[in-house]
Amino acid sequence: MKFQEELKKCISDVMPELDVVIGWCASFDPLHATPHFMRRKEDIDKLEISPLSVHNLATYLPGLRGKKVGIVVKGCDSRSVVELLQENLIDRKDVTIFGFPCTGVVDQSKIKKALGHTGNVESCEMSDTALVIKMDDKTQTLAMAEMLADKCSSCRYPDAVISDYFAGEKIGNKGEKDVDYAAVEAFEKLSVPERFGYWLKELDRCIRCYACRNACPLCVCRDHCAAESRDPHWLSQENNVRDKLMFQVIHAYHLAGRCTECGECQRACPVDIPVLMFKQKMNQEIREIFQYEAGVDPEATPPLLSFKMEEENITEKVW
Amino acid sequence: MKDKNHYLPEMATINEVIQETHNIMTFRVTFNDPGVMENFTFEPGQVGQISSFGTGEATFVINSPPTRKDYLQFSVMRTGEVTSKLHILKAGDQIGVRAPLGNYFPHEDMKGKDIVFIGGGIGMAPLRPLMLYMLDNRNDYGKITLLYGARSPVDMAFNYELPSWLEREDLDTHLTIDAEYEGWQHTVGLIPNVLLDIAPNPENCMAVTCGPPIMIKFTLQALEKLGFKDEQIVTTLEKRMKCGVGICGRCNIGSSYVCMDGPVFTAAQLKELPNEL
Amino acid sequence: MGLVKYLKSADLTPWLEELAQENKVFAPRYEGDAVIFAPFDPKQEISIKHAATMPPKKTVFPQSEKLVDFTYSKDPEDLSRVMIEGKEVLPEGTAVVFGGRPCDVRGFTMFDRVYLAEKTTDVYYKARRDNTSFITLACEKPETTCFCHWVGSSPYDATGSDVLATPIEDGYVLESFSPKGQKLLTSKLLENGDRWISKGQEVNENAVESLTDAPDLSRAPQKLLDVFDNMNFWEKAAAKCLSCGACAYLCPSCYCFNITDETTGMKGTRFRSWDNCMSAQFTMEASGHNPRPTKAHRLKNRVGHKFSYYPGIHDGVISCCGCGRCIKSCPVGIDIREIVQEAINHEPAIG
Repeated sequence: MKFQEELKKCISDVMPELDVVIGWCASFDPLHATPHFMRRKEDIDKLEISPLSVHNLATYLPGLRGKKVGIVVKGCDSRSVVELLQENLIDRKDVTIFGFPCTGVVDQSKIKKALGHTGNVESCEMSDTALVIKMDDKTQTLAMAEMLADKCSSCRYPDAVISDYFAGEKIGNKGEKDVDYAAVEAFEKLSVPERFGYWLKELDRCIRCYACRNACPLCVCRDHCAAESRDPHWLSQENNVRDKLMFQVIHAYHLAGRCTECGECQRACPVDIPVLMFKQKMNQEIREIFQYEAGVDPEATPPLLSFKMEEENITEKVW
Repeated sequence: MKDKNHYLPEMATINEVIQETHNIMTFRVTFNDPGVMENFTFEPGQVGQISSFGTGEATFVINSPPTRKDYLQFSVMRTGEVTSKLHILKAGDQIGVRAPLGNYFPHEDMKGKDIVFIGGGIGMAPLRPLMLYMLDNRNDYGKITLLYGARSPVDMAFNYELPSWLEREDLDTHLTIDAEYEGWQHTVGLIPNVLLDIAPNPENCMAVTCGPPIMIKFTLQALEKLGFKDEQIVTTLEKRMKCGVGICGRCNIGSSYVCMDGPVFTAAQLKELPNEL
Repeated sequence: MGLVKYLKSADLTPWLEELAQENKVFAPRYEGDAVIFAPFDPKQEISIKHAATMPPKKTVFPQSEKLVDFTYSKDPEDLSRVMIEGKEVLPEGTAVVFGGRPCDVRGFTMFDRVYLAEKTTDVYYKARRDNTSFITLACEKPETTCFCHWVGSSPYDATGSDVLATPIEDGYVLESFSPKGQKLLTSKLLENGDRWISKGQEVNENAVESLTDAPDLSRAPQKLLDVFDNMNFWEKAAAKCLSCGACAYLCPSCYCFNITDETTGMKGTRFRSWDNCMSAQFTMEASGHNPRPTKAHRLKNRVGHKFSYYPGIHDGVISCCGCGRCIKSCPVGIDIREIVQEAINHEPAIG
C-alpha cells in the first residue's frame, strides 16, 4: 500500500508527544493481523496496514483515557472515535487520529468458506484485486472483491471522517447517499415465526463469552454490564437460548443511535453468530425516526441521549 | 460408598438474631437434623458458605468456638446482595450451611505461648472463636492479651460480651476507638499506635490479627517494630468464594487456594505467596 | 497394546448409529459456520476433517447445570415460617464422544486432577465423567496454531481417551486404551485391525515429523512467578486484550465456574455455570475491592494458572493443552505462546 511509508513517517514525527500509538501488525499466521501498540520508534517498523487490518482499534480508547494516544483508523473506525467524542467518553485533545485511504478489509469467515479451512496457511500475497494463498502445498487465488467484508462492499466512508493526519490520497466519502439495508429487508421478508426460529437456532451455540460486547468500542460499561448484574437481575446464568437472545436485544437497544455498524461484534464471535443484524435493524429504525446516522458529526448528540419537547417523527397524541 | 456432595447445603434454623451494630448482625443457628448438629466438628478459624436460597452464598467464619456447641454463630456485615438478604431474616427462618471449609488457626503450635489478639471492627469475628477456645482451655496457653478497636463504640461488635472480657483476670483486654466519643472510658487511638503502647513481648508469643486491609498493613508494621517475626504472626484472609473446595478457580493467590490452603495464613506464608491480596 | 480394530470410512455413520442405541453420542458438526459437538444425528453430516471450533467440554462439563433444586413451603404449624428443602439433581445416562482430538480430551485429564481429588470430589462431574467414553481422532497434520508437543502431548496422545482412531486410507485404525474402550470395539462392523497397525503408526509418525521443534518450557513456572510483580510486562502483554471470555470458554482445560440461584415463585434452582477469570467481576469482593482490577492482572492470572500455578500443584503438568484455540478465536489474536516465551526469556533490568 503506497501510503504506508508516509504514514510511518508521520507517526514517527508525532510519537515523541504521545504515550502510545495503536495500529496493526502481522500476527500468528499470514492470514491474520493483530493490534500493534507502538511506544518507541523501533515499534513503527512493524506497522502494517492491509486488508487484514480488520480490528476496530477505537475500542481501546476509553480504557486509555488520560494518556496521550495515537490511533490509526479506517473510515469505519473513525466513526467510532466520533461517537466516543460525542458521548464525552474520550478527550479530543488526548487523541491523535491518523487516517489513510481504506480499500476494504477481508471477512475471515468468507475466506474460510472459500478455502474450506485456514489452519495451515503458509503465505498470503495481497493486491487490490486478489489474495494469493499458499497452503497444503497448493496455491489458490481468491478475488478480493468476494472476500471483502459486507460493510466494505457498501462502504460510504472509506476516508476517516475526522483525522489529525491523513496519509495518502483520500478516496472520497459518499455520506448519506446509497444507504443499504438490503440484508435486513431480505430477512424481514420471512415470517415472524421463521425469523424467531432462525435466531433461536443461531443463538443456541452462544457461549456467553461477551466477545461481541467487549469488542464494541461503545460498550464502555463492559465491566458492569446489565447482562451480568444480579441487582437488577435481567438475565440468568442458565444455558438458555432465550437468555442469550435477550442479551442481544438488550445490547442492540443500548446501542440504538450509537452503533456505527463497524461489525466488530460479529467478527469477534468465536462461534460465528451473525449478531450484526440486530444492530442494523436498530439503525434502520433510528434513521427513519430521527434521520440520524451515528458517528459522523463530532458536535452532534445521539438522539436517545438528547431531549426534545416535541419529537418530529413520533406522534404521541393526535389533536 | 457414595461421595459427599460438597455443593449441597445442610439446612439450619436461626435460633437468635443479635443486632451488633448498624450494619453487623449475628446469627446463632442449629442444624435442622439433630444428628448433623451432634456430629458436627470444626476447628477455630474454619469458615462456612451460608446460603440465602434464591440469592446465593457468602463466606463467613464460624465465630463460636468448638467448645461451645449449643449453636453455630456467624456475624454478618451487610455489604452486598447476599448479606442484605441475610439481614432481613429472623429467628425461625431457614438458611443453608456448607461447613466447615478451609484450614484453621494452628492452636496446637500455639500451646504454651503467650497470645496477642489484635482485631479491628468486624475483624474481631474470626478472632473470637480462637480466643474463646483458648479461654476454655486456659491452662494450655500463657498470657492472653486482646486489643480490639473500632471507629467508635457504636461500631464495636460483641458489645454485650466486652464487659465480661474486661472483667476476666486471665485475659488482658484493651479497647480503643479512633476518635473521642462522649462517654467512652477506655483508650482513644489507632490500633497500631495503641499496640506500640501496650508493647507486648514478642518472646514466645504469637500475634493473631484480622481487620480492614489498611489496619492489617499498619498492624503488621507495628508488630515488626516490636520484634515479632513473620512466623509469629497469624491472620485470616477474605476472598470472593463460590465452591469453597478449591475447584471453581476463583479464590487463588498464585497456586494457593484461600478456601483450602487458607483462609488462615502466617505472615511468613503470605510473604511466599505472589502479591495479589 | 490394547484391542486393535479397523473401521471402513463408509461404516462410520452406521457404527455411530449403533453406539447411539445405548448411549448419547456426540460428534462434531457444523452449526452455522462453526463446528461444535452436538448430539449425533445420522441425517446431518459430521465434520471431522479439522479440529472443531469448540472442544467437547460441554459433554462432561455443561455450560450450565443444576446443582440443587429448592422449594419453599409454609410451615402449617406457623404460617409466618417458611421451610426450605433442597434436593441435589445428579446427571444420568451414558455418553460417547466421537471426533475429539488428543488436545481436546487431554483437557479432561486437567479437570480430573481437580474435580476428582479424593477429599473434594465433585459428584456432578464424576457422574458424567465416569459415564462418558471418548473415541479420539489422531491428528494427521498440525495447524499453524497447534503446539500440543510443547506441553507434553502429541498428535496421537491417547491420555484420557478410551479409543484412539487413526485415519488411514479409506478407514480408521481403532485402538482401545481402557476397559470402556474395549467394550466400544465389539461391533460386527469392525474387523480385526492387526494388519493395519503399521499404516496407522506411519500416520502418527508423519504427524509428529511435521511439527516444528518445541521450545523448552521447564523454566516457565518459575519465570512466570518471577515476573509476577512486573506490571509493565503484563500491561504490554494485555494491551490488546478485550477481557472477554472467548479464550477461556474455548479452552479444553479451563474449568472455572460460578454458582448462582434462580427463583420463580415458591421454587428455585442453584446452578453452576461457566465463568472465566478474564471477566472483571470474577474476583470482585462485596466490599468493592478487586484483587485483579485490570485486564493485565487477569491475563497474568490466566497465563500464570496454566503454565505455573497448576504445574506447581500437580507435579509440573502444564494445564494448557496446546490446541491453539485461544490464539485462533481471540478477537485480537493474543498468542499465549508468545507471552510464555517472553516470560521465560525475560531478564530483569539491571540497576
